[in-house]
Amino acid sequence: MAFSLEQTTVVSWNHREKVIFRFIFSYLMLQAVPLDWKYYQHVLSINWLQLQFADIFNISRYTPQFVHHIKSVDFWGLNTLLDWLFLVIIAGVLTWIWSWIAQKKGLKWNYDRLYYVLRVVLRYRLAIGVIAYGLIKVFPLQAPNPSLSNFNTNYGDLSAWKIFSLSLGIAPSFEVFLGSLEVLGGLLLLYRRTTAIGAFLILVFHGNVFLSNLAYEGGEAIYSLYLLQMAAFLLLHDIHRIILVFSLAKPAQPDNYRLVYAHAWQQKLRIGLKSAFVFFFVGLAGYKAYVVYTEGPYQYPETPGLTNARGLYNVREFRFNGREIPYDKKDTVRWQNVVFEEWSTLSIKTAAKIQPWHATSEVFHRDDRDRLYELAGTAGRHYYHYRIDTAARALHLENKNPHYAGDQFVLHYKRPDAHTLVVFGTTAAGDSVTAVLDRLDKKYLREELQRTGGRRGNELIL
Amino acid sequence: MSEEKTIRQPETANPAVSIPAGDGPSQPRAWTAFQKFAFRVGFIYIVLLVVPPGVFSIPPDFSWFRLWIDTDWTSLHYRDLYDIARFNPSFPWLTQWLGIPRLAGHAIWVTLLAIASVGAFVWTLIDRKAREYNTLYYWALVMARYRAGIGIIGFGFTKLLPVQMPYPSEGLLNTDFGDFSGQKIYWMSIGIVPWYQVFAGIVEVLAGTLLFFRQTTVFGAALLFGALGSITWVNHAYDGGVQGYAFYFVLLGLYIFGYYVPRIHRLFILQQYTVPVDYWPTFPKRWQKGLRYGLKAFVIFLFLGVLFYLQLVDFLYDPYKQPSTPGVKALRGYYDVSEFKINGEEIPYSPLDIVRWQEAIFEKWTTLAYKVNKPTRLSLSNGGGNPIMDLERNFEITGTAGGRRVFHYYADTTTQMLYLQDKVPVGGDSDERGVPASTARQAAVTSGLSAGDWIDETAWERIGDERTKIHPRGINTRRNRGFARGPRPLTRHKMVLHYETADGQRVVLTGTNEHRDSLYIVLDRVERNYLLSRSSLEAGQYD
Repeated sequence: MAFSLEQTTVVSWNHREKVIFRFIFSYLMLQAVPLDWKYYQHVLSINWLQLQFADIFNISRYTPQFVHHIKSVDFWGLNTLLDWLFLVIIAGVLTWIWSWIAQKKGLKWNYDRLYYVLRVVLRYRLAIGVIAYGLIKVFPLQAPNPSLSNFNTNYGDLSAWKIFSLSLGIAPSFEVFLGSLEVLGGLLLLYRRTTAIGAFLILVFHGNVFLSNLAYEGGEAIYSLYLLQMAAFLLLHDIHRIILVFSLAKPAQPDNYRLVYAHAWQQKLRIGLKSAFVFFFVGLAGYKAYVVYTEGPYQYPETPGLTNARGLYNVREFRFNGREIPYDKKDTVRWQNVVFEEWSTLSIKTAAKIQPWHATSEVFHRDDRDRLYELAGTAGRHYYHYRIDTAARALHLENKNPHYAGDQFVLHYKRPDAHTLVVFGTTAAGDSVTAVLDRLDKKYLREELQRTGGRRGNELIL
Repeated sequence: MSEEKTIRQPETANPAVSIPAGDGPSQPRAWTAFQKFAFRVGFIYIVLLVVPPGVFSIPPDFSWFRLWIDTDWTSLHYRDLYDIARFNPSFPWLTQWLGIPRLAGHAIWVTLLAIASVGAFVWTLIDRKAREYNTLYYWALVMARYRAGIGIIGFGFTKLLPVQMPYPSEGLLNTDFGDFSGQKIYWMSIGIVPWYQVFAGIVEVLAGTLLFFRQTTVFGAALLFGALGSITWVNHAYDGGVQGYAFYFVLLGLYIFGYYVPRIHRLFILQQYTVPVDYWPTFPKRWQKGLRYGLKAFVIFLFLGVLFYLQLVDFLYDPYKQPSTPGVKALRGYYDVSEFKINGEEIPYSPLDIVRWQEAIFEKWTTLAYKVNKPTRLSLSNGGGNPIMDLERNFEITGTAGGRRVFHYYADTTTQMLYLQDKVPVGGDSDERGVPASTARQAAVTSGLSAGDWIDETAWERIGDERTKIHPRGINTRRNRGFARGPRPLTRHKMVLHYETADGQRVVLTGTNEHRDSLYIVLDRVERNYLLSRSSLEAGQYD
């Protein structure tokens, strides 16, 4: 190389640039560095001896929250934007104080170094965020294979967000592909030389995620916007070089700034910290995500359901308070069909109007009853969690939809043969019900096609 | 073309840096033997990609060029330009002779590599003097850029004006999620968010547009590679069937992007002072300049200007995947089947009955859909192609099971008669290339009710001409020719039903089904409040 490193440090900052920089520095640092005490409360509550992937995942998605402090599922709503407004105001105040100090005290700041530090912080913050979200797709957890109940729900009775998730869920290989891209983007950020490429990849990827969230009424548009602003800022650093070389075909200087370490231990510390980072957020997180994956989808309850009962059941007979009700698609009481999942959930279809439960952002729940993915964004079926009392041959039902929290009752069951279930009991409203359920040999088109070698040249009568 | 070249070099080169251009501007650096061979392979490969298929076959087939002549340029349909923009190489006999496996639709790329390698070998033997191929490389890039740009714009406009993935019909909304094929699920998942589809279309059209200009080519190539790489994967994951054509653009995108990789590597990975050197031919003569700008302007005018307008017309008046004739207004909606009599015998509702209808839907276009618990032949195509007649527009039937029966109808509103035909032909549907999926179909040409005799002359007069039932702006030569040709000669189940309704709440249907059984059906309207948001961007005109 024909030039030395000193050549680039000549770049001087004028007053206006300094003021703008002070503001951007304050704003982005406030966004990226966890200063929110609630966050530490959360971190401290983690059992580090039994670290779960969910813990790492939750650590990964810090966003400052001043306005919205309820432990709520939809913590990235419009309130978050209000938080951002607060950050802008605080950053403005900090800029003013900083400028005042700089002027009065005549302190000399090395803006090149501060800028470098800011970029390092953002690179790592962004990498943590995208790698965590990438991992839950690399090990297809985010969108699991649809449940039987979801398969037996009308397309129009699903919310757009639910359809997005189910559609991704039937194609795990596509989910893995998306996750790999996201993780790759994050890894590229860990190296100075590949940062621009990583930032570009994330900008394109999360630009898409952002618009998908808006289009599908998802709950994470604001969070992807949070990541996007960092990716955009990181890419901004190289944009003039990119335009010079690739559009204008003119020569460009590379980024020559190097942080000079005065002491050898600083360099060692740097390598140590970076290794720890990679170990924790890539290695350990990846391993923990893999563990979750092997344990089965975290979106669905873990407790197994009634043995050998999985399936779709036609309700051949239905008695309500002793009165037999024939098949009826418009009756709000009469059960039309029942699904027993592999796990301890059963769902009942009736004509009653159901107030749907919406949960559109990623949350890890430990308790089976809190795992509401299967009913989130659906209408048309009532979802019950059940506990089996094998001695009494009884199912203790609990409506999973938080809108129907009081709906709990006991159903006794008889199994005259392998495909028939007779259930009877008294509902929460005090009505006695008896239903004879026949398991249907229901075939699902996607599975049939996979079994028979795909669409091409195939003929199916189904 | 002039042999004089300018080497695009910086006016203000940094004096401290030596320019890595070799022997100076007048004499471009010689390429290594490996570089030359690799270039020859790549060049032949690109030529094979960009030349319309058939030209290299024996005997040559110039059907693509015929499109230019056969098209009525005074009355264009979007598909006229789309067809010109859409082609990809095909050497089926060679692929077969080389014994290359199907590779899920990617065998062709291996075949092309075989041809290009042999070609490059011969070229190497003949051409021993060439020092470098800077000029030829430039032209290879031009070919790749324009081929990819035109192709992807043709593809992108069907999303930018969202008709490629229609919003699900009411029949599809009432089908269970588990009754769809993977392909259908993905297509609908885009169809339910038309604005997102518009965005996807913008990305594709933008990628194509950026490829038309040298200054923006790198961004166009990156977008093309990213977007189409993802689409290729989607087609594999969901069995979409378009992975070959999508990967075609990935290859073109990679070739173009590859030109810039050394610069990216130098500027970012090596972090060295980077001086881009482009060997761009100059066009000193006036006619050369005129030709260059003329061709470029023509491409942009035709594939950005005219095609946008044609696609807009298609979106507004004749969305190509769904029927465009408005259905009978009084009937449109979702119904519960309250009463069902066949040959005078009443059948009470049971979800297991294999004859009784369970629900009925009159779409906003000329379709009646109902559900019966009886296995039926499915249409497994991806709903592509460009059928002109409503009867053959099949997005509402493809990749859908669950006992759904979907009939197209001609309505005689004077006598309140519906003449219905099953949208799934008796012998089965064809796949997207029109290749018979079933040999049974060969035998199933016109029989019985299939001819024109099931609707009498006077009824036809009252029904009117389907061709002219859309907005006049949507009518063009392709549509006229399609109607002149008539429907494909397939056997279809037919029903003739009389409808009666006072206020649209209750509809009584009487008539005969496909087996000539007499039907008496009472339908009661149900207000279905779907959880899924309505489309905020609706294609077609049905008022």
